Amino acid sequence: MQNQEHLLQEIEGIDDYWGPTFRAIYDQDDDSRKFIDTLDNRIKQYDKEIERMCNFYYQGFIDSIRELQQVENQASKLKKQVVQLNSNVQTIVSEVTSAGEELVKARQVENNIQMAINSLSLCLPALSSYSKLQKQMADKRYYPALKTLEQLEQLYLPQVSHYKFFRQIIEKIPKLRENIKESSMSDLNCFLETIRKFSSKVGEAAMKHSVEQQNFDFGLTKLKKKKDSPEDNSDDEDSLSAQDLIDFSPVYRCLHICTVLSSRDTFDAYYRQQRREQALLTLHPPNNMHESIASYCYYLQCIVGFFVVEDHVLNTGNGLLTRAYLEDLWKMASDKVVSIMRTNTAYCTDANLLLRIKDLIMVFCITLRSYGYPVKNYMELLHEIQEHYNEILMQKWVQVFRDILYRETFCHLEVDNQEQYDNVVRTFPYQDDQLESSPFPRKFPFSSMVPSVYDQVKQFIFACLKFSNDLNFSEGEVDEMVQKSTKLLLSRTFSGCLSSAFHQPRLGLLQVIQIIVDTGYLEKSSKSIQQFVSEATGSTGGTVGDDAGITLGVARNDAEHHMYDKMKLKLNEFLDLEDYDWMLVEPTGQASSFVTDLINFLRVVFNALRNLTEEVSVHVCQEAFEHISKSILNLLLSDDIKQLSMGALNQLNLDVIQCELFAASEPVGKTDEPDFSQHFAPLRQLLDLLLSWDWSTYFHDYGQETSKYSHVKPTTAIIVLEKLKEADKKSVFSVLKKSERDKKKLLETVLKQLKQLAITVQQ
Amino acid sequence: MAKTYDYLFKLLLIGDSGVGKTCVLFRFSEDAFNTTFISTIGIDFKIRTIEMDGKKIKLQIWDTAGQERFRTITTAYYRGAMGIMLVYDVTNEKSFDNIKNWIRNIEENASADVEKMLLGNKCELNSGRQVSKERGEQLAVEYGIKFMETSAKASVNVEEAFHTLARDIKTKTEKKLVSLLEFKLKQYILVPNY
Repeated sequence: MQNQEHLLQEIEGIDDYWGPTFRAIYDQDDDSRKFIDTLDNRIKQYDKEIERMCNFYYQGFIDSIRELQQVENQASKLKKQVVQLNSNVQTIVSEVTSAGEELVKARQVENNIQMAINSLSLCLPALSSYSKLQKQMADKRYYPALKTLEQLEQLYLPQVSHYKFFRQIIEKIPKLRENIKESSMSDLNCFLETIRKFSSKVGEAAMKHSVEQQNFDFGLTKLKKKKDSPEDNSDDEDSLSAQDLIDFSPVYRCLHICTVLSSRDTFDAYYRQQRREQALLTLHPPNNMHESIASYCYYLQCIVGFFVVEDHVLNTGNGLLTRAYLEDLWKMASDKVVSIMRTNTAYCTDANLLLRIKDLIMVFCITLRSYGYPVKNYMELLHEIQEHYNEILMQKWVQVFRDILYRETFCHLEVDNQEQYDNVVRTFPYQDDQLESSPFPRKFPFSSMVPSVYDQVKQFIFACLKFSNDLNFSEGEVDEMVQKSTKLLLSRTFSGCLSSAFHQPRLGLLQVIQIIVDTGYLEKSSKSIQQFVSEATGSTGGTVGDDAGITLGVARNDAEHHMYDKMKLKLNEFLDLEDYDWMLVEPTGQASSFVTDLINFLRVVFNALRNLTEEVSVHVCQEAFEHISKSILNLLLSDDIKQLSMGALNQLNLDVIQCELFAASEPVGKTDEPDFSQHFAPLRQLLDLLLSWDWSTYFHDYGQETSKYSHVKPTTAIIVLEKLKEADKKSVFSVLKKSERDKKKLLETVLKQLKQLAITVQQ
Repeated sequence: MAKTYDYLFKLLLIGDSGVGKTCVLFRFSEDAFNTTFISTIGIDFKIRTIEMDGKKIKLQIWDTAGQERFRTITTAYYRGAMGIMLVYDVTNEKSFDNIKNWIRNIEENASADVEKMLLGNKCELNSGRQVSKERGEQLAVEYGIKFMETSAKASVNVEEAFHTLARDIKTKTEKKLVSLLEFKLKQYILVPNY
């Protein structure tokens, strides 16, 4: 029995791992039954114990249940409260959550905004500078625009270049640059256009200015310009200079811009090119420039304006123009201007216009010289214009002389009183004490043409000198020029007029003679003309003019020839009137009427010749008598006269004697010429020979210089003898008388001898 | 010898200075006119040949200076003249009045049978006329001579005037010539030379 108790404890003591215990039970075989019984006893013991315990704790149990039930109530109550509370909390918290969510969103927005502000503030300077750029462009302030652009490009844009729109701007930048350049160029072009419009004004101002300055330098200019001064009383305008008249800023701007854009060379070239073209345009003269001073003025003003502007640009343009370039341009322009002025003035026929052109060129030169341009070749131009001017003056004086000569009566100038006398003597240097003391009316040996022409020559000299005013030519030069022109005027212009004047049929022989007399007086006055010129020019040495006396020589020669011709014509008219009866039996005993008329006429003419130089008058006489003598001889020898009677020969002799007497009567006063009748010698010898029938002497002395009949050629004698023979044949009675027969025989013999002589002479 | 003319008539132009004698002559000889006045100095002449009835007539027309100072020269030519043109200016009363004096001059110096004719020149100047045509005609009738109004400038009657004068002289000369021939013929028949 002990063993079983042990097993039971083991079983009760352990919860598991009951196997070995059970095996031990089983291994005691007959005890298993015993053990079950013990076990059953044990269980019954425990059941009894439980039952006693239960009976002991029952009340507590009931109480506990009751308490539990109470707790259950309270718990449900609490649960309710908790649920309530929970829902309350739930409602309250939901608002908080939404607010919280909003807060989160707002936070996010705030963040975003901050980020945007940052980005924008980064872009802002770029944009503002871009807009500034736009504005500057719109305002045409290209240079600042360019600066802005640079700033934009280098400072702002790199920071913001990742923005798409900035990329656009970046792309636009070269284009903008180009735009700026173009715009400034177009501005420059505008400027160039305006400058072209204004250059005449600039020129005008510059020229006015230099005229004013000249006022202080030359008294002459002052005097002259004073007359003009009422016209330009707007003094404020005068003081304007080129830079005041023209806004040069486009040039400078463009220059800066191009410098910045580093296209300076292109710009320089462009500017020069444009200006060169403009220069060419300016140099092109307006149409019909030669017609008015205004167009000359405008033309030269434009050129002055152009070069004044260029000078200004040279000085201020920071190397845009170079001195060498401008000199080159000026040289080109200058040559052109000279040639254009030369051509245009050559058309000019108005002396006053030329004078004004001269003044204009002078002002032009002075102005340009003050700007440093060389104007040397204009002096040559002025010389040429002066020559042209003198030509025109001469043309003008052609008319003046023509008028004088046309109105001239070529009579002696007669004055009735002292006043008139003084007038003439004042205009023309003439002194004659005899005339001075003679009573009125006094007769000058020359016609009124002489003082008029002399006066006109003086006027011409004045007109010539007008051109030399202010020209700064040397006195000697001016003197020489005026002397030359005056000489030309007299020797060419006046001579020409004179020549055409005395070819007028209205002028008689006596008038032509008066012309010759007048030319003599004019020639004599050439010394005082020279003196006058020298006084007027202030030159001391009368260089020209020793040969000035010849000046009218051509005209005078012409006039003399004309006089001879006219005289011969008149003589021929007389000689044409001869009405000889060649078969006249007895001479009438008086000279033929045409011879008487002729001599009367010549007497008047020769009387007028006394005023000529002896040389001329003698020559006229010689010519006249020679002509008469020859004409009568020719008449005698003419083929038209077949027969000739001694009576007719006697009549002819009578006429010739009349002529010889007149010729011997000193028809032009006392002269060195011994006797004009000697001009009748050939005729006289022939007549003497025929009338005296002095053939023996003739044949004897033939060939000797001292022969009485040295002028009679055998052939001449033969002709007349044949005519005499012919006339004799007609006479029916001649054969009847012995004396007549002898005479006839003698005639035949003489004829034969003469013919032989003629043959030997021929051989 | 073949003569270049049949008759030679010497005519004389007289009248006051400035009446247009030279112009009349110039118109007749050159058929031209010159407005400028040039006083004739002393004396001058022009020759023109005209034809009349188949005869060539040479007219030697002496143009005298009207001015008093040339009077001595000009009167010398009166004697040879066969016809004298007395010229006055219709716009100049005095030149017309002076015709009387010129006629007296002729009577004193010229041959008695000289043919005369009165010309009133410048008849184209109607505005300044001082002497009517009637008065000219009347004066001409008084002296028993022919009269014409002429204009050298407008070429009126100049040709006619000279032709008229020439014809009168020609008629007279031919009449004289016939009587002379008759006379000579008688002489020749009665008193032969040989």
